[in-house]
Amino acid sequence: MEATREIYWNIGTEALTTLYLLTALAIAVFIWGMAAQVKTLKLGRPLKRDDQFWKRLAYALSQSLAQSRVRSKRTVGGLHSLFLWGFVVLFIGTTLIFIQADILAPLFGITFLKGSFYLFYSIALDLSGFIALIMILGLAARRYIATSLNLPKNPGDFWSLFLLFVILVTGFLIEGLRIAVTEVNQNPELARFSPLGLLVAKSFAGVDARALRGLHAQVWWVHMVLVMSWIASVPFTRLRHLVLIPLNAFCADLGPKGKLITLDLEDESQETFGAAEIQDLTWKDMLDAEACVQCKRCEDACPAWNTEKPLSPMKVIRQIKELAQEGPTAKLVAKIGAEALWACTTCRACQSGCPAEVEHVPKIIEMRRNLVLMEGQFSGDEVAQAMDQMEVNGNPLGAAPATRADWSEDAEELLVPLNEAEVVYFTGCYASFDARNQKVAKNLIQLAKAAGVKLAILGKGEKCCGEPARKMGNEYLYQALAAENIASLQAEGVKKVVTTCPHCFDTLSKQYPDLGLRIEVEHYASFLDKLVRAGKLKLNPQAESVAYHDSCYLGRYNDQYEAPRQLLAQAGAEVKEMRLRKKESFCCGGGGGRILAEENQGTRINQKRVRMAVETGAKVIASNCPFCLTMFEDGIKGADLEGKIIAQDLSEILVEALASRQPKEKQ
Amino acid sequence: MKILVCVKQVPDMESRFQVQAGGTAIEEADLAFRVNEYDEFAIEEAVRLKEKLGEGSELTVLSLGPQRVAEAIKKALAMGCDQGIHILDTASRDPYQVASLIYQAVKDQDFEVIFTGMQSQDLGYAQTGLLLAELLGIEAVTTVVSFCQEGDGFLVQRELEGGQRMNLKLQAPALFTCQLGLNQPRYPTLPNIMKAKKKKITQLEAASLAPPAARSQTTSLRPPAKKGQAKFLEGDLGAMADQLVAELKAKSLI
Repeated sequence: MEATREIYWNIGTEALTTLYLLTALAIAVFIWGMAAQVKTLKLGRPLKRDDQFWKRLAYALSQSLAQSRVRSKRTVGGLHSLFLWGFVVLFIGTTLIFIQADILAPLFGITFLKGSFYLFYSIALDLSGFIALIMILGLAARRYIATSLNLPKNPGDFWSLFLLFVILVTGFLIEGLRIAVTEVNQNPELARFSPLGLLVAKSFAGVDARALRGLHAQVWWVHMVLVMSWIASVPFTRLRHLVLIPLNAFCADLGPKGKLITLDLEDESQETFGAAEIQDLTWKDMLDAEACVQCKRCEDACPAWNTEKPLSPMKVIRQIKELAQEGPTAKLVAKIGAEALWACTTCRACQSGCPAEVEHVPKIIEMRRNLVLMEGQFSGDEVAQAMDQMEVNGNPLGAAPATRADWSEDAEELLVPLNEAEVVYFTGCYASFDARNQKVAKNLIQLAKAAGVKLAILGKGEKCCGEPARKMGNEYLYQALAAENIASLQAEGVKKVVTTCPHCFDTLSKQYPDLGLRIEVEHYASFLDKLVRAGKLKLNPQAESVAYHDSCYLGRYNDQYEAPRQLLAQAGAEVKEMRLRKKESFCCGGGGGRILAEENQGTRINQKRVRMAVETGAKVIASNCPFCLTMFEDGIKGADLEGKIIAQDLSEILVEALASRQPKEKQ
Repeated sequence: MKILVCVKQVPDMESRFQVQAGGTAIEEADLAFRVNEYDEFAIEEAVRLKEKLGEGSELTVLSLGPQRVAEAIKKALAMGCDQGIHILDTASRDPYQVASLIYQAVKDQDFEVIFTGMQSQDLGYAQTGLLLAELLGIEAVTTVVSFCQEGDGFLVQRELEGGQRMNLKLQAPALFTCQLGLNQPRYPTLPNIMKAKKKKITQLEAASLAPPAARSQTTSLRPPAKKGQAKFLEGDLGAMADQLVAELKAKSLI
């Protein structure tokens, strides 16, 4: 006899009318509820997020069905994925039943749930249900029992978990009752393909078949009513994310990563700049707020939150959601607090780990823009002064612009005049003026010379790239500085730029094109890595143990993780990886313009990071960014770790490897 | 009430100063310019007064100097001044000449309150405001650290030596020179920066204002002679101590 079962056994097709009505009702409530949930989207400003349909669809699938970001946090992400996939299989199974029993069989007399396919179907559904059941218990335990995780709890969420649990239990009960009556004795071979159902069935051994049939019919209806109420309740519980997260992923920012919207400052129709009220945000910001499930990953990753600053990226998103309920003119900063906004280092750890595809950083910058451009407010007087210095002197350090190239005075033979240069080194403010970072500038020109690259600098023609000002909300100052740099670069006909600062790199390569500059820009890590690979730059390995710190703007913003590690390996360094590395790297505290600001709340971010490096046993914490280097130098002193570890720039390790090579060549 | 604020554009004090050939002026090419800090207090106080008085008050900013000075005027306009007067002048002037030129430009305009900085950051004469008040024949109060308008008059506080303060009450018209501590100048908002671009700046040629002869001349300018220097010792503690002893001995100090 071919393996199969009678669909709607013991229920009869006459029950279907009621079932269809229930289903239609549930779907109607679901649609109405979802529509009500997303009505806040109308409050937001327009934003184009519907281009490149297929790319978006593929991305949405990778984030929803394939769970790629969810799984990036291994243990709990994996459990979540199993939970989802269990239900996906059950959903597919139910859909197949619908297709056969309600469409193909009555209309065309076709059945496919039979034979070996049915056996596979049976065991797949049985096991998926079991996995889903275990995962529900695990996830509930995590939220409600493991209180140390401090996960948000609310009654609606509990209800949906509980409902799913009861649905699965009643599902197994129905299966078991059916198997007890139709398979245990009649077809034990077939029953083996429903191991869980069989287990339930055996517990009914000896009970009268009629009683079992009666019970089956009752439980079947309970199960169906629960399923339908669950569907209807989805829009009103945390499970709305089943719809909103794939949708949010579909509407994701496709990049370039971290490219900010360049404000049109000359637009006279614009009465306000940045975001002061809910209506100043975009519809995508509203969707973000609706899609957030408060999984707390952003908070766990946030360097500000982890050092007791008044910023939780999760809370900001939740507050935006609450404000959206109040209406279009609800005031953002009054609720969120300027202190929280200023605490952000724009490190992007929140955003890059968010499984709901929420974009935290641009919202914070929009609100900062409003504070600066409309209110003239800064995080402190020291930041206002740095802005003033950038405006007058073209650098936040207040150094005389005429002395910008002074660092190169005793190394002029390493540079060529601008008109002979293959590559222009955009030095940046810290490498130009800060004594510690001037060494990095000298190292770079030495390395370039050793590799035979003709390098020049703009000197007085260079200004701050404007990045710290921009991230602090001062778009006007950023655009003014950018315009001057672009004019200098274009006047010199520069085709290619290398930087030692990942902030300059990100800004020149990704943000300046909006203002009209399109040239090749590289950070020195990839620039030198290529020279090493081409055999032009030769390094002599030196033994050293190095904790390599991925700067936010080379790492998370530009996905460059390997070139610096390759270079360290070429220089003979043993890279000791920190627990928080690559995509999960922990900011030094200097991003987002915070390098200009006092850090006077909570513990210091730089000290926390330096301690992480010490834990690896490395003697050096190496970075690729002048802000990181500055922060680590301070952090080592502040945390009293002098003698245990030193802060170095990648270029310093490379130059040591270079220096040790030269005498050998002379022999 | 008609209010005037006089501002000067000065080099940033961190600039690299180089004396021009001839030895009486500073080379301008390498300088970064900004609004004199004391004049920013003057602008802020003038804007606050205008905002307090509301309708019917008018605030004019005046500056003297070459084309670049327009930037300083624009900043004051962005901070809230209503209109600008730019006395175009490329000559180097002493305080009496500057005050006389301003006097010629404003004498018929019946300003009731005039604010200036206490002094300029670059030359620090602290005379222009006082000379202007003298030429206009109005009262002047220097080093103002607190200002309050009441009816036709003003209650002001001056800063004296040794932390002493002095309260004064006087009637318009009057001129005030503003000292550090008077206020915290605002950062211009973007809409105000944009509005400032459309505000009127009247240009006057210095030559047309009949500048008087200078009463003092710069005879020479040079960087101060190097007097001693600091030396940083490096290395471990013992080595640094040895170095220090050697240095002190070499200089016959011990």
